[in-house]
Amino acid sequence: MKKAIGLALAVLAITSVVAASAQGSPKVAAASAASVSCKSTITLPLVTPVTGGAGFLGAEQGAWAKYAVKTLAKPLGLKVKFVLGDTPVEQGPAPAQALAQKYVADKSVLVLLGPSTSGAVAASSSTYFQAKIAHISPSATRTSLTQGSPREATAAFFRVVPGDYIQGPSDARFMMSTLKVKKVVLLDFQEPYSVGLADAVESVLKKGGVSTSRLSAPNTTTDYSAFVTKVPSDADVVFFPTQKPGDAQTFAQQLIEQGKKAKVFGGDGSNDPSAFKQAGSYVSNFAPDITGIKADAAIIAGWKKDNPGKTVGSFGPPSYGAAQVALNAIALACKQGHGKADRQSVLRNIKKVTINNWILGGKFKWSTKTNDPLNAKFYIFQIQSNGTYKLVG
Amino acid sequence: MDTFIQLTVDALTLGSVYALIALGYTLVYGVLKLLNFAHGDVFMVGSFIGFGVLQLLGGTSSPVVPIWLLLVVITLAAMAGCAALGVVIERFAYRPLRDAPRIAPLISALGVSFFLANSMQLLFGATPRNYNTFDLANASLYTKGFNIGNVHVALLRIITVVAALVLMLLLWYLVNRTRTGKAMRATSFDREAAAMMGIDIDRVIVFTFVLGSALAGAAGVLQSLRVPTTVAIGFVAGLKGFTAAVIGGIGSIPGAMAGGLILGFAESYAEGYISTKWSDLIVFSILIAFMIFRPQGLLGRADIRKV
Repeated sequence: MKKAIGLALAVLAITSVVAASAQGSPKVAAASAASVSCKSTITLPLVTPVTGGAGFLGAEQGAWAKYAVKTLAKPLGLKVKFVLGDTPVEQGPAPAQALAQKYVADKSVLVLLGPSTSGAVAASSSTYFQAKIAHISPSATRTSLTQGSPREATAAFFRVVPGDYIQGPSDARFMMSTLKVKKVVLLDFQEPYSVGLADAVESVLKKGGVSTSRLSAPNTTTDYSAFVTKVPSDADVVFFPTQKPGDAQTFAQQLIEQGKKAKVFGGDGSNDPSAFKQAGSYVSNFAPDITGIKADAAIIAGWKKDNPGKTVGSFGPPSYGAAQVALNAIALACKQGHGKADRQSVLRNIKKVTINNWILGGKFKWSTKTNDPLNAKFYIFQIQSNGTYKLVG
Repeated sequence: MDTFIQLTVDALTLGSVYALIALGYTLVYGVLKLLNFAHGDVFMVGSFIGFGVLQLLGGTSSPVVPIWLLLVVITLAAMAGCAALGVVIERFAYRPLRDAPRIAPLISALGVSFFLANSMQLLFGATPRNYNTFDLANASLYTKGFNIGNVHVALLRIITVVAALVLMLLLWYLVNRTRTGKAMRATSFDREAAAMMGIDIDRVIVFTFVLGSALAGAAGVLQSLRVPTTVAIGFVAGLKGFTAAVIGGIGSIPGAMAGGLILGFAESYAEGYISTKWSDLIVFSILIAFMIFRPQGLLGRADIRKV
């Protein structure tokens, strides 16, 4: 029996090593400076979790980015093919690295949307940088991607949403000033997004004199009973920055099961009304409910026509915005290159793009200091008894 | 003290599910000497069958039958579906390799595992499926139950532990008190001799897969009553079930039950008293320790080799 188990473990280990090496082979991508004709079909990938616990993100972002390509490319004189690249959060950085190799090798890729998660950006940004491919994320919010030292992303990385350096303090200030918290438990999931965001919230809470404690769960956790047990009965809030909204719902229900009074407060990763709907909980997000923005009425109507039965969430519209920036940068590069464009010229033009009627409201402009948007902010919602999200901060 | 009681309640719930999964590993190993690494994915399929039947019965928001009947029906449906799946897996993935070197069915088992996980993803997508038992009768499965001191033991946890216990007792009765069980034990002891005594070995093996897979289906439902399920849950659940079976002594039915509970306690107490970061590390360290110091597990038989 010992022999059989030994054999089994050896087979498992070999399988894992082979699978890991196949996904993440460290081939250095050759930078391609080749120009392409602006009349040819340009491929615009969106790198996002399509499958796994954060698959909702890819579904929503994909639908909006696709709609942006459909409606915006032609007026700019471009022929664009939209494709999705899958980076399931449970599989760590390997899928993002493998996709980066693939897109670098594809000469029709001049610019890229995503990666959508901070971990995937950190894992692949240097590969895109070597190939001079600008990558514009609609949702990666980890602070160290665009500022501080060491920086986890390169100069070719951009994001159209604000980072956790805004989200963390916003959430913490809301907890202190509106919820008047005295004791907060913070969870992280042992990956870059949640660790960074929990750190950002915790530091502001500590400075404000709030008592904090920290728990850390593997990203594969599904049953949080033992974690709920460690939440003190007098804790006011559990900060739960997951990328799997269903887990925030489970955690909130298990708090009730154990008779704990703490409310769950999720970050932007848990903002999904179909999965996280426990009344009284809070979520923050980088986008408001755009259905309240008059200038967006035509866009929403068109999108709804293409996506019947779907509701407008908070993750999709920034993807539309990211695609809008990318397409405008290609158009500028084409104009400068007299009908030809290459990756470097598109990269140079990203920060020249401004959008007057920004889908998230107001005008979109880049910060001059970082590759972040100027004057962007986070919004806080409270979940109502009917499951809807009400803007409260 | 409250923390200890709460962690113990968590451990019993978790351990009951691990024990049901471990029983599937141990039954198949006992009869075929095969580590069925597809077993975790059968567990996952069971949780999806339960979800599908739950939706057919109106879901948790508007069930068309009483709650107790709803729970019984989805569990039985998952058990039946997984039993059928077990028969198919045995017939097409393992039977042709029964006399092949041991590594062949092992690789076939890994192949079946990947096949099940990926085909389920293609069929149903990767979105987590939540049974939403919280919505049943104003969350009564969570808020009803009893208290030990300040610790609330929810009805859902009682249902999970009791259901697992009933299934384990039924299995024990079946294996130890019926003719089929006797045939299983004989096949496990010496397959060739059992065949010579007139036992239909193929039938016994199929029945073993039916039993093991049905238990995995039940475990899938019991687990998903509390936490959402995805197509990816099979791998980790299978690994934990395998660990529980090895700790208890693979091939031993009481060992699998004990191993599941030990694993549940180890995981829960490690998360509660040591660190939530290290629970998996601690759990798998226990597996390594058993492999080194007591490879036959707690209740397994040591191999006797003739020299």
